[in-house]
Amino acid sequence: MRPILLQGHTRSLTQIKYNREGDLLFSVSKDQIVNAWYSHNGERLGTYNGHVGAIWSVDVNSMSTLLITGSADNSAKLWNIQTGKCLHTWEFKTAVKRVAFSEDDTMALAVTEQRMGYPGTIVILSINSDIEAQQSDEPITIIRPEGPKAMVADWGNINKYIITGHEDGSIALYNWKDGEKLNSIHPHTGEITDLQVSEDRTYFITASKDKSAQIFESNTLMPLKKYVTDAPLNSASITPIQEFVILGGGQDAMQVTTTTMRQGKFECRFWHRILEEEVGRVKGHFGPINTIAVHPDGKSFSSGGEDGYVRVHHFDNDYFKFKYPELS
Amino acid sequence: MPSDDISVKPSWADEVDEFDLLPLETFTDENGIKTIIEIKTNDDGKKVKVTRKIKKTLITEYVNKAAAERKKWVKFGDERGKKVGPDLSTTSIGEQIYLKLSSTGKQHTENVEDHDASKKKQLLLGKKILCRMCKGDHFTTKCPYKDTLQPLEELSTALQETTKETQPSTEPIQADSSTTGKYVPPGMRIGSTKPSGDSYKERRDDSTIRVTNLSEDTTDSDIHELFCRFGSISRVYLARDRETNVCKGFAFVSFALRDDASKALQAINGYGYDNLILRVEWAKSST
Repeated sequence: MRPILLQGHTRSLTQIKYNREGDLLFSVSKDQIVNAWYSHNGERLGTYNGHVGAIWSVDVNSMSTLLITGSADNSAKLWNIQTGKCLHTWEFKTAVKRVAFSEDDTMALAVTEQRMGYPGTIVILSINSDIEAQQSDEPITIIRPEGPKAMVADWGNINKYIITGHEDGSIALYNWKDGEKLNSIHPHTGEITDLQVSEDRTYFITASKDKSAQIFESNTLMPLKKYVTDAPLNSASITPIQEFVILGGGQDAMQVTTTTMRQGKFECRFWHRILEEEVGRVKGHFGPINTIAVHPDGKSFSSGGEDGYVRVHHFDNDYFKFKYPELS
Repeated sequence: MPSDDISVKPSWADEVDEFDLLPLETFTDENGIKTIIEIKTNDDGKKVKVTRKIKKTLITEYVNKAAAERKKWVKFGDERGKKVGPDLSTTSIGEQIYLKLSSTGKQHTENVEDHDASKKKQLLLGKKILCRMCKGDHFTTKCPYKDTLQPLEELSTALQETTKETQPSTEPIQADSSTTGKYVPPGMRIGSTKPSGDSYKERRDDSTIRVTNLSEDTTDSDIHELFCRFGSISRVYLARDRETNVCKGFAFVSFALRDDASKALQAINGYGYDNLILRVEWAKSST
């Protein structure tokens, strides 16, 4: 396969995301720009300009009308996807590290950083799906987790709970309505860098700096699978069609100059989701991979790296024909 | 007469026109295959007939209605007013890469190596392989003292006696090498957290073969095609000229398994490819 290289950013990528149909790909980076791309040919549809700090996170609603971004300029912004216009700005005391729309698009969560004396919080915002409508400034509720700060978060299935991943490698389940912590486990020994839910949100995968990725059940936090690699991981994604997970990461950017390129391990690793065995690798990035997203139809995937590139890979036919020898 | 002069001395522009005027036939047959027959004059001044057949197929792809609607959206932001289609300043096509899926993942390879260890040793004994470093019966690249003894070629003979007696333990020897004054990157220094990738790297190195005497128009995919029958390839590097981008005549092929590499080495060494006889040998470690 020949990857499509998207050069829309001048600094490292922080998150990429497909919309529900997978025809659009959104990328955010530390260079303060949000880019929208057509995923089939890599054409840039437009940019969303307005943030004045590094952008940490992006999410798109299921109708592909609204886009939410969280930035280090202490704000989260809501955008009209079609026109690139900023519809609303929520101001916070600290940087917004993660944003995510709820399953029904009526809410969004924003994880704010613990810094400058302010505790880290998870703010639930009310979203009006009508583009013309005025958005409410007042959050529905604010969850204040205790202990190590939350790095990533997402919604569980049918908006019942919120799953958070923390700096110390623990995962917690919150009832967002009253902010009560229902369950908490400590499966990782390093910082949790990514948390992606499955299509039906009944299970999710976490990536951690402790070089492993794990799959858990959403409602019970029961560990299901574990993938142990040899490099710190920054992202993990679940693939439809083939039962794989794609893991990405590599040596920390600050460590890169002390070793050779080959030791960097800047490859996307494909692991068999069920058998927990590595099945293949895709290389290409010059630096650690920060974020991976899989097209909802499972026929392509994209990776964004510290090197500022997004690489869109459309799988060859061989990929779909592959059968695990021990299973067939 | 002036007109005579012109006919005797045609200008260079007319000459070019003449080439273009050579007969050009195009017809389309019932299967929709368009045939273009051209008669050209090549560099040697000979006339050549060039027949090109073009078949156009329209592939209809069904996409979600909403997605089809979104394809018609007007560009905005920094892209405002730009024409439809990918812009070369933001979108480019990368080099061909291969995703070879196999059940022999990283963990598997290790197991296979363990199982075959005794078998391999016997093989090696029969072949009388002598390590250039420690005179042991393994490949030089496999030598446990490779990293430490390589810069100290003279020392190796002296150390040989002691190392033969004691069980291989790399730590004390490493300490020696650090005192020789050779630059050691901070990440490799003793006391620093040793990168776990060391063993991994070595394994990659010693399953690499070097292919030489390749013809100029060899491409990466040619090499890939030639070697993929021997096993899973983890890397193909084809040396190219920086300016002309033609092959410089050699390539490195890394296999996932050393066995595959040695199979390839035996089979392809001396193999005629593109009118040239290929030479294959183990790649020397770059460290």
